[in-house]
Amino acid sequence: MKSIRKFDAVPKLNGSWKFLDDYSYQGMIFGQLLYSTCHHGIIKDIKFPAGFDLQEFTFVSAKDIPGENIVPEPECDQPFMAEKEVFHYGQVIMGITHSNLRILREFIKKTGVEFEELPAVTDIKECLDNEKNAFGKELTIDHRNGQKVDPTWIYHHKIYYTPHQEQAYLETQGMIAIWKPAEKMMFVRGTAQCPFFVKSGVESIMGKAAEKVEFETSEGIGGAFGGKEDFPSLLAGITALLSYKSGKPVKTVLDRSDDIKITTKRHPSRIEIKSWTDPKSKKIRKIDIDYRLDAGGYQTLSPVVLSRGVLHAIGGYDIPDSFIRGRLMRSNTPSNGAFRGFGAPQAFAAIEAHVENIAADLKIDPLEFRLVNLLRKDAEFPTTQLISEDHLYDCLQRVIEKSDYQKKVKEFKKWNETHKDKKGIGLAIGYHGGGYTGNGEKVLNSEIKVIIRQDAMVEIYVSSTDMGQGAHTTLAQMFFETIDHPREKCRVQLPNTSKTPNSGPTVASRTIYIIGNLLHDLALEIKAELGFENLEEYVASHQTEFPQEFRRNFIPDPSVQFDEETYQGTGYKDYSWAACVTEIYYHADTYKVELTKNWSVLDIGKLANPKIAVGQAEGGIVQGLGYGLCEFFYKPGFGRMHGFTDYTLPTSIDIPEMDIEFIHTDSEIAKGLGEIPMDFPAPSVRNAVLFALGIQINEYPMTPERIFKSLTADER
Amino acid sequence: MKINFLLNKKPVTIDVDPMKRLLDVLREDFQLLGTKESCGEGECGACTVLLDGKPVTSCLVNVIQAEGKEVLTSEGIAEEPLGKLLIDCFDETNAVQCGFCFPGFLVSSYYYLISNGELNLEKIKKALSGNICRCTGYQKIFESVLLACERK
Repeated sequence: MKSIRKFDAVPKLNGSWKFLDDYSYQGMIFGQLLYSTCHHGIIKDIKFPAGFDLQEFTFVSAKDIPGENIVPEPECDQPFMAEKEVFHYGQVIMGITHSNLRILREFIKKTGVEFEELPAVTDIKECLDNEKNAFGKELTIDHRNGQKVDPTWIYHHKIYYTPHQEQAYLETQGMIAIWKPAEKMMFVRGTAQCPFFVKSGVESIMGKAAEKVEFETSEGIGGAFGGKEDFPSLLAGITALLSYKSGKPVKTVLDRSDDIKITTKRHPSRIEIKSWTDPKSKKIRKIDIDYRLDAGGYQTLSPVVLSRGVLHAIGGYDIPDSFIRGRLMRSNTPSNGAFRGFGAPQAFAAIEAHVENIAADLKIDPLEFRLVNLLRKDAEFPTTQLISEDHLYDCLQRVIEKSDYQKKVKEFKKWNETHKDKKGIGLAIGYHGGGYTGNGEKVLNSEIKVIIRQDAMVEIYVSSTDMGQGAHTTLAQMFFETIDHPREKCRVQLPNTSKTPNSGPTVASRTIYIIGNLLHDLALEIKAELGFENLEEYVASHQTEFPQEFRRNFIPDPSVQFDEETYQGTGYKDYSWAACVTEIYYHADTYKVELTKNWSVLDIGKLANPKIAVGQAEGGIVQGLGYGLCEFFYKPGFGRMHGFTDYTLPTSIDIPEMDIEFIHTDSEIAKGLGEIPMDFPAPSVRNAVLFALGIQINEYPMTPERIFKSLTADER
Repeated sequence: MKINFLLNKKPVTIDVDPMKRLLDVLREDFQLLGTKESCGEGECGACTVLLDGKPVTSCLVNVIQAEGKEVLTSEGIAEEPLGKLLIDCFDETNAVQCGFCFPGFLVSSYYYLISNGELNLEKIKKALSGNICRCTGYQKIFESVLLACERK
């Protein structure tokens, strides 16, 4: 497979590629949201400011909804707009339009909502520590073997915390809705990663008032990372209702401050691990993991995040006796949602720190300790799924070799003896199950469509979106390279729910892994069915038979069986594997950790487009390093957050030099890539801090303030 | 109030609220949609343009500040030989992901090429530190600018 150029790079650079806010329609007006600034309370009164002509505005609230006031989600518990009671800061109360966006924003800013305040949980620890906040279904994976705990085994009991993480897509959330009364049709365009989710959201709010709902994405989707998985349904629903009521096209684009305050984030976690290690064999004999996520005000898709979280909780270790319990906790902050990694980054942040802590306490080399306990071929997950390949081991060996890890460990220890500043080096491993969890892909039953035109142009119809990850370039490539067709004669069409079949949402590292491989198979099938060597020549000599349409559905592997109740069976058919080493320089005067180098080795199988794959890995690793180093909400009551001034993202001068290598690229299939780069970098930063300073910090991220506190606590 | 300035090398006059953000004037009054709004507070650099040859975040500039000056946007830079070279380098390395921040990166990289242009990674990092990208991890952006420095 070649590193072909992306078809959309040049128009994105010269400004001609259209993002949502770049679209305008005749007579279009603007929409914005009025949301709760109270964490929990009863809405008593809404006071509009004087000096505005209310006739110029359109208002929608819960009572205007012709359909159902429920956002369709795995757990349907979140309303589009609050009726009486609000359960979190940022809960939408009204949608409002005006023809002038500046007047509209000023009007909303001056509108006062009066609440009767009720008790609220806004502190992450208060939410996660108190078992009374648990809600929803509890998940357990019971792989205990009934053995007795040997008194010589060494017990470790630690609690790890990770914070909210903001997706920080550069393009904020936005939707345009156009109501066409003559056809009773609602057309919606937006920046979203799951076209059919948005469609069902609009269908839910419109009910029988709309006979047809069509959703099409904007040409450009300015980053998503999971943040544009479920929130777009809510925004599209309210924008659609505004268009329905005002009779005009309505564009709602959030400004950064609203976006950061009210949209979904990565779930904060509290992961409590108890383990028993045999000091003689250095094997972890038994483990008990209590995995909790702060779901926010409503469950929405959190049960699915929890599911992936517990399935990755044991990390890359072969522990014969394990018990994993997963719970969602409720807080009065905005519902948390999908974010690259989907529960797995929290799992690895905890287990990779825990393994490092045991090694430090028992004075075992952390690499040796990992190797002794590593999940090797023929070992099994707590779900009883057998590991079919030794690629995690291969990743670890390769990264050790190329980073010269063992030599650096010795050098840094020596250097640290005579310097006030310190050098650190940290290891971490990770893996990620590709596609939907368990039987999910079977249920999704993804479908793809290809039309071959009379000029041999191949049009690919899939609902997978290109949100920057290059999916539309790579998906086309997986088709045309398979049959040696020219690249300029193959193009993925803009996802539109009336034209593209439902090939599922663009999530779960499934786009290349499921849809790409499906396109590859379909290309071979078409070639066999028509019997051509060269498609262009074939079409030229069989003109009357074209255009022709081809469809194909995902065919599940019958050996993939998963029990949703007991959590036993195949969690994921294929796993991507990774290991990394991060080097840091610690500045003693400022308590600042500087990242100096990162080596990452990944196995994602065949590379569909090597340069795009490296770019994806680099971007994910930087998000992961940010998660470990500097990203957090200093005040979870989101009203205090403003934007990028108080949420610290890594910039070009904060990142280390990165050296990325993919192994086992001669594999037959392309596995998931999107999320795995996010899973392992954060604990490698944390473990490098432990190396440099000898302190076990069990709460992320590694900010100067946290390091200062930990160091001074030790002095006391 | 009437405001005159040079926009992508052409003289323009516009009757507008002098306190309107330059960003909004470019997007709404001139339909120059390459300049993007992301943070609206001068942190992310997505709205970067050159004002009299110096990079500014146009969300923090009132249009009155452009009076009698020269404004160069990503669209204007895309027509310049060095702009074309940069676009080709970004394209060749597959650096562009979602692309929302890239017109801003194009402006800052172009400024680096015309004001310094040295083949020096540390200087390039510093020159681009006012632009945030959430997709790429920056490394391929550095590669592209280094490539352009080599080829210019």
